[in-house]
Amino acid sequence: MDGVTAVSALVMRDLRGVARSRSQLYSSILFPLMLLAILGNGVSEGLDPENVDDYVTFLTPGIIVMTALFSSTFSSATYYSDRDTGMLDVMYASPHPSRLVLLSKVTSSVIIGMLQALAVLAVAAVIPAIDFQWQYGVAPSLAVALATIVLLNVMLAGMGQALASRIGSMTGFHLVMNLVLFPLLFFSGAFFPLEDLPLWLRILGTANPLSYAVDALQLALWADGSAAQFGLAVDFVVLGALTAAAAWLGTMRREIA
Amino acid sequence: MEARGLVASYGERRALDGLDLRVPAGAVFGVLGPNGAGKSTLLSVLIGRRGIDGGEVRVLGERLSPGLRRRVGIVFQHPSLDPHMTVAESMMLQARLFGLGSAAAAVRSRELLATMGLSGRANELTRKLSGGLRRRLELARALLPSPELLLLDEPTLALDPDSRLALWEYLASANRAGVTLLLATNDVAEAERYCDTVALIDAGRVVVEGAPPALKADLRRESVRVEWKHAPSPELLSEVAGWDGVGHIRASGMTAHVTVDAAAVFLARLFAERGDDVRAIHVDPTTLEDVYFQAAGKRLHGQEGTGWTE
Repeated sequence: MDGVTAVSALVMRDLRGVARSRSQLYSSILFPLMLLAILGNGVSEGLDPENVDDYVTFLTPGIIVMTALFSSTFSSATYYSDRDTGMLDVMYASPHPSRLVLLSKVTSSVIIGMLQALAVLAVAAVIPAIDFQWQYGVAPSLAVALATIVLLNVMLAGMGQALASRIGSMTGFHLVMNLVLFPLLFFSGAFFPLEDLPLWLRILGTANPLSYAVDALQLALWADGSAAQFGLAVDFVVLGALTAAAAWLGTMRREIA
Repeated sequence: MEARGLVASYGERRALDGLDLRVPAGAVFGVLGPNGAGKSTLLSVLIGRRGIDGGEVRVLGERLSPGLRRRVGIVFQHPSLDPHMTVAESMMLQARLFGLGSAAAAVRSRELLATMGLSGRANELTRKLSGGLRRRLELARALLPSPELLLLDEPTLALDPDSRLALWEYLASANRAGVTLLLATNDVAEAERYCDTVALIDAGRVVVEGAPPALKADLRRESVRVEWKHAPSPELLSEVAGWDGVGHIRASGMTAHVTVDAAAVFLARLFAERGDDVRAIHVDPTTLEDVYFQAAGKRLHGQEGTGWTE
């Protein structure tokens, strides 16, 4: 019970920190929506893609994945500010195993990422230019989207925390995240469909964990079943397995005493 | 707290190299040593922040474990407050981390903040507090779970004299209430003034231990600082080091610190034989710094110098 109290106290501290950082709060919502408006309109009007009828709607699931990705990176980086302010020492000096401290960091990251992704989804749902198909019905499609967002955020938060607790400097962390995450985002099907790409890019896309989240969200929000890359069953099996592995890695730390 | 043969390494370097230490309950115990002697490493071991590579340690009769930290508080050398939290929020976070009930924690938090003169600042963000007030808050936070042992890692570092005095008044009060204080410091005056017992450590080992007055009494030496007209040659220093009644010499630039059995005897010979080379002399009262110098063969703070020993 003490452990639950400690985790909730640490999570509340992180949430309070975000709530007090207005610029982070607003930019985390506004940036994806801005990108959706600019990139969505720019591509659909300027390039006029033939194989995607409604590019803005197609792009929305990818933007939700991107929001979760950036949010988890930002939240994981608070590990460094906690270290630099000495708060990490305070947490580790508490009567709890180190894993519990990391669990609280992952939990905060998941909650913040989910709230931001859901905020983008909610705003997108009421924008007239975005025409969600809800192909399984509104409630089931929403349930699929929510489940995907939860799994995606746990996976990304675990991965981010695993890297943050193993990379010595914030600069190094951001370098690694940029090096890994941007390619992951670009080859996930978030900005263009994977099926029309050359074979080697399709292989990269298939090996990319984010592709399964994008696929599940596109199935829930944008497309009918025929547009699936992998199908919901495969999406959830892969996401579930990767999420479990990332969550374990993100909270793993050798106990000293 | 009892440590026997404690070894902790950073790669090839041994920060603790067979350290033996026993801190009695209720003591104000100082671990005095220069930077890099192993003081902070010792505290890190005691709160489970780093492991040991050898030896054994028991704190409050228990082996190290996360649960033991419920009985141990710490004030870190570096600042350790969340700048985005208020004073009251910092205290309540500590209360929840240590599983204190909300009502009891609120009462104790108010008491401690009042004791530390922080009552009126409870709703201020910690980043708006002065360095002295932040230190007081860190101490209040460490005392909130009522620890039996409080670890202090250079707690008064960078504080002005008034804040130091105030902090030590609070610490003395906590000690009177039964909290054992283990202080890691390189501040000789602080250790002499406030500690019942000090252990002087060098390169991860205790070189001498005892009550400050007893350690100084055992020294039976005086400390003479000689300022030469020119930088002394190694030959000159070797010659002086060979005189009867001369202990350690450390030279730095045009100054030499010399420990002697009797300043009067030493000075008479110095002026008789080398008076032309001497610009000034100072006879200083013996401090723990001299005890350290004699035991470890080097100064606690100091610029690098050339040392000779008898």
